[in-house]
Amino acid sequence: MKILVTVKPVADPNTPPAAWIESEQGKSGSVNYVANYFDLIAVEQAIQFKDMGVDDICIVSVTDESKMAQVRSAIAMGANRATLIDPEDRKLGAYQLAAAIAHVVKKEQPAFVLMGKQATDDDASQVGPILAGILGWPQATFVSQIEFNDDKSRVKVGRETDEGVEVLDVKLPAVITCDLRLNEPRYATLPNLIKSKKAPMERLKFSELGIDENPRVTVEGYSLPKGRSGETKMVADASELVATLKEMKLVD
Amino acid sequence: MKILVVAEMQLGKLKPSNRATIRMAQDLAAQNGGTFSMMLVGHQIGDAASELNNFGAETLYVIDAPAFEHYLADTLTDAISKLVKEYGFDRVLGGEATTARDFFPRLAGALDAGMCRGVCGLTQVDGSTCYQRPVFSGMALRTERIHTPIHLITVDPTAMGEPDAGGAGEVVPFDAGVSANEGVQFVELQRAASERPDLSVADRVVGAGRGIKSADYLDTIGKLADKLGAAVGATRAVVDAGWLPNEFQVGQTGKAIAPKLYIAIGISGAVQHAAGIRGAKTIVAINKDAEAPIFKIADIGLVADLFDVVPQLIENL
Ligand SMILES: Cc1cc2nc3c(=O)[nH]c(=O)nc-3n(C[C@H](O)[C@H](O)[C@H](O)COP(=O)(O)OP(=O)(O)OC[C@H]3O[C@@H](n4cnc5c(N)ncnc54)[C@H](O)[C@@H]3O)c2cc1C
Ligand SMILES: Nc1ncnc2c1ncn2[C@@H]1O[C@H](COP(=O)(O)O)[C@@H](O)[C@H]1O
Repeated sequence: MKILVTVKPVADPNTPPAAWIESEQGKSGSVNYVANYFDLIAVEQAIQFKDMGVDDICIVSVTDESKMAQVRSAIAMGANRATLIDPEDRKLGAYQLAAAIAHVVKKEQPAFVLMGKQATDDDASQVGPILAGILGWPQATFVSQIEFNDDKSRVKVGRETDEGVEVLDVKLPAVITCDLRLNEPRYATLPNLIKSKKAPMERLKFSELGIDENPRVTVEGYSLPKGRSGETKMVADASELVATLKEMKLVD
Repeated sequence: MKILVVAEMQLGKLKPSNRATIRMAQDLAAQNGGTFSMMLVGHQIGDAASELNNFGAETLYVIDAPAFEHYLADTLTDAISKLVKEYGFDRVLGGEATTARDFFPRLAGALDAGMCRGVCGLTQVDGSTCYQRPVFSGMALRTERIHTPIHLITVDPTAMGEPDAGGAGEVVPFDAGVSANEGVQFVELQRAASERPDLSVADRVVGAGRGIKSADYLDTIGKLADKLGAAVGATRAVVDAGWLPNEFQVGQTGKAIAPKLYIAIGISGAVQHAAGIRGAKTIVAINKDAEAPIFKIADIGLVADLFDVVPQLIENL
């Protein structure tokens, strides 16, 4: 069984926001990249499915050569190969990313696609369901439990929602996006990292895919959110805290 | 400009977040000269529909069919897509939540429309309305412009004020022509019953972090919450440990909340947690480590052992 797993290299979440904004605007290159954590959960899940007959795990990433190390680290966890789509310096939005991934999905015809639920830089949380919408496939987002039915034509998933865990029975092929509690991603070992250099890589260019070049959404600018106002008032003990809260009319 | 507000129900009631979405629809209509309509989807939702119809919408479309008894992205997307095409809406607004985060982008794929998620403000750039939204765990704000004829927007419910009251719109039943589909079937919702206020909209929230050491201490945290009439929230550390179910998680990947009072107990204040409480009016932090980052965003801080302080608070409040 073949499955596709998407991986996005993102700025290290610990990057100071001002430095991140500068790098997004192309003003400096001092940002470290890591594989999006939610995508590592998706890769881990794919590897755990090897026992269930998954024997071809293909990583799909829309990224340029400079972030190959992050893609390799995902392959080295135990994937078989990768397809890379070079954006050729374009700043692609969620729709175009999904359209590019859809191109690979149509060609590869996987049993299903595993993705992260969101990219920790854009916090868009869009590419998965857009892809499902483009393909007309069923979708299950924010998945924290997943198991196959007997003939592997469907999966039963638990989704993390505001109301609780929602259990759905989903027909394959489908787009599934992974939430934090699905698993704990493994680390790639050094020997596997070295081996990953030999994994087959198909390289495509965004401009070759026949996707509309016009962006649906563009970035007009950045700002830093207003910090929380003023100083922290330190209190000495519980009774001073209660007195302060009463004085501020926050409690009766 | 023809605006459609996708109003939602949750556990049989109208979601409070609909109000923020309607507020943004009213602002957009006023700024750009347009009208807004609303839609409500579900099964046997007549009462909720009349309760919703008080904000000056032109029309309220009601889609009431057994196929919509449970929320499902696939069927809901098909229904909205049909309504949008039939009546030519060019702005579709919903409240940011795990439902909208699921079906809005699917709709974006189906309609080939640009989308902005979690919009917290409108701003004019070169004479057209652009959308502001938090990115990078809420540490930065980004202004985005949508270029497609249809704009899809989910609204951060903590960022908007109350909508203006207004007259009732014409109620139009809409036949979405959607029946239950075998692609995705609802099985069940596993939900922890709670008597406390709903975390998403509570005025007061007591947040528990790993500092509480074990699930046993949640009884005491609960007593404090009950004294305050507060909801209980938690960090990912607490939820991961299995001490509370995931719907209690506050933060980047949990709920964003905006209570008048948030009391963070034994919480370090990681950026991913802070992202969820930025909208809180007053943040109180109780932590034994004076260097904990939570004190940087707190309005009131107490450096002390929570196991001493929490019982004293219950006593004194
Ligand atoms: C992709 C990603 C997404 C994430 N999303 C979220 C999210 O949505 N929400 C979230 O909360 N986290 C999220 N996290 C996790 C986040 O990074 C932190 O690990 C988490 O918030 C820490 O929880 P905590 O503050 O309870 O625990 P800790 O960081 O372990 O803090 C415990 C605190 O308790 C204090 N303490 C201990 N004992 C006492 C005592 N007796 N009295 C007083 N104080 C005491 C300690 O000084 C410490 O500051 C995410 C992480 C990742 C990687
Ligand atoms: N450039 C990309 N290349 C591959 N996958 C991506 C890319 N951008 C987003 N994705 C996938 O889509 C998910 C959601 O991203 P987003 O919608 O940007 O929050 C991520 O977790 C990835 O799995």
